[in-house]
Amino acid sequence: MSAWRWGKRIGRWGSFLGFTAPALLLILFFIILPALQTIALSFTDREGAFVGLRNFAQVLSDPDTFNLTGFPPGPPPWGSIVHNAVWILLHLPLTVGLGLILAVLLDRARGATFLKSIIFLGMVTPMIVGGVIIRFLFDENAGVVTAILRAVGLTELGRSWTAYPETALPALILGSVWLWVGFSMILYSAGLATIPRDYYEAAAVDGAGPLQQFWYITIPSLRPVTMVIVAMTVLWELKIFDIVYTATLGGPGGATMVLALQMYFYAFRALEFHRAATVATLLTLFTLIVGLWFVRTTRSSE
Amino acid sequence: MKRIGFALVVLMLAVSACVPAATPTPERIVETRVIERTVPVEKTVEVTKVIPTLTVIGPWAGAEMDQFLPVLKAAEQKLGVQIRYRIYRAEDLSQVLPPQFEAKQAPGDVIFMWDWWIQKNKDHAVDLTDLWQKEASQFVLQPSTVDGRVYAVPYVLFVKPGFWYKKSFFQKHNLKPPTTWEEFLALLDQISKVPGIKKAIISGDGVGWPLSDIVEHFLITFGGPELQENLIAGKVRFTDPQVRAIFAERLVPLLGKYFSDPVEWTQAVDLWWNEEYGLFFMGNWLTGMVKDPNDLGVFTLPGARGVVGGTDWAFIPKYSENVEAAKQLVAFLISKEGMEIRARQGGKLASRKDISPDVYPPADRALAEALAKIERPNVPDLDDTVGGDWQRLFWDQLKLLWVRPQALDSVLRTLDARFPTR
Repeated sequence: MSAWRWGKRIGRWGSFLGFTAPALLLILFFIILPALQTIALSFTDREGAFVGLRNFAQVLSDPDTFNLTGFPPGPPPWGSIVHNAVWILLHLPLTVGLGLILAVLLDRARGATFLKSIIFLGMVTPMIVGGVIIRFLFDENAGVVTAILRAVGLTELGRSWTAYPETALPALILGSVWLWVGFSMILYSAGLATIPRDYYEAAAVDGAGPLQQFWYITIPSLRPVTMVIVAMTVLWELKIFDIVYTATLGGPGGATMVLALQMYFYAFRALEFHRAATVATLLTLFTLIVGLWFVRTTRSSE
Repeated sequence: MKRIGFALVVLMLAVSACVPAATPTPERIVETRVIERTVPVEKTVEVTKVIPTLTVIGPWAGAEMDQFLPVLKAAEQKLGVQIRYRIYRAEDLSQVLPPQFEAKQAPGDVIFMWDWWIQKNKDHAVDLTDLWQKEASQFVLQPSTVDGRVYAVPYVLFVKPGFWYKKSFFQKHNLKPPTTWEEFLALLDQISKVPGIKKAIISGDGVGWPLSDIVEHFLITFGGPELQENLIAGKVRFTDPQVRAIFAERLVPLLGKYFSDPVEWTQAVDLWWNEEYGLFFMGNWLTGMVKDPNDLGVFTLPGARGVVGGTDWAFIPKYSENVEAAKQLVAFLISKEGMEIRARQGGKLASRKDISPDVYPPADRALAEALAKIERPNVPDLDDTVGGDWQRLFWDQLKLLWVRPQALDSVLRTLDARFPTR
């Protein structure tokens, strides 16, 4: 290889490093190193001695993490991992489904921008405030939801939802659907705008009804958007903290404990940083699985 | 030529830099003397005095903050400092302070915090032993110590005296404070029958601490202050038959029938004051939160020999830039003068013995006089003293017990299994 080519290659690498080094250094010192330190901490005890997987065994055997003794039909607590899983199982389909329905219904409707703005308000509300609002929405004395339920004769559900173990988790999940649905609706609205109208016109000429158009044109065309929404929503559900912190603090009786809150309690109430690091490592592992799935699915669809 | 000139300039600058700037020349001294002798004018000497600005961090907001600010105002005038007050609950400080301390930083110069937490973090706190010893004999409370050294001092006293009621409500419905357990149950029945009343007692909630205060009052009343102290020390277990009996026979039977579901406690104040509920268990800071404190009455559970009394603990982080000024402020806060100013505002009682009851507003004065008849008005707070994650667990398990009384044994087992000394 000629010296000229070598010089060109070195120059190219030099520019690449010159432009990326500031960002890479920041990522290295503020993200990668602390993450590695956290992972290392999860394998040590209070004194910093290596203990292998002992912390993981202790955390996973803690009833706050995993407790299936009362699993359905019994009410929570079922442990933070199960609560996070329930959150994903209920919140994800509701958010994705409602977001899609709202986006389709409000597509080209009169006053759609105004209605979308109102629905999107939940997303711009700080989640800490969102938690307080959820608490009051489902409060016996001040709640709108409980007042409506009492008005339609469901008096048993007219009490404070966050006070009872069987209703506290559903209250938080339903409240978080309200907070998060604006996100999926806006993304679906943007996705709908990219579908060529010709598809629908051609389908109509061929005799396809609105439902068939929705099923065979809208849903497949929105697949990339759906993947983004699913990935982002699952990641948000895994690291959910602020809503639970302000609405119930994980109670009553641990019925709404989630992994991120458990990590917080280990670190800042029990001052057991190695256990907090263990939960953080578990959370990282779970989010990594979702992230890898997302990357692989995106690549394969490309 | 240019180079020589440049070198000369550099040389001159270097030489001039070596001469101390503050050293006056002899000629100037002579000249000054002459002026001072011949022209006797009045001179104004400008002294630049740096006024330290202290940051005080405390948990009090709203009415409680309004009662505390006059003390800081007085301290500003007396000590010649400026003081900023910031609100942080202890729960939030427990999250904020550790990383700040690791970075040798402090968000405040005087911080009010849990004493167990300060003891665990005493390496970051200033030793206040000398400051405390000057006042020690005047206090009804002990300071927060580790190995005999004082790291936090107690401020004003709060007590959890029992069930509050509106005198006007009791008069209107011909109700009387009970003197026996049977009268207490009868009173609850009477209140429940008053039209418009939802439940006899409203249960305050927040993160759960108001419920723990109720439970502690039952434990102290039926097990004595010693039981509470033994529970704190881990000498008696939560699964002990005596403890279980108090829960099972005294508290649990009342939960569904007379106590409401947990209601956010500041909201509960309004609901109770609007006479939707008859009684409300709360600390004495309630006197500063109602429209007419003179309409307040309070009674303990019949037979109670003690009530929980506690305080907020002030400490100075080592990383304060104004440690000496902060020490002066702490000394002022716990001095007779500082304590009197705070007591005058109401909502808290002085923790010094030399404060006359006359300084209190009427409602607080009545409370202070009533407490004087109680054998132990300052039994340590169970969850505040044990602290740590168990404190949160205690609150959380009680929230569960309040709506699931049948979970009593599971609650007691959980509290016992997770107690720090187990």
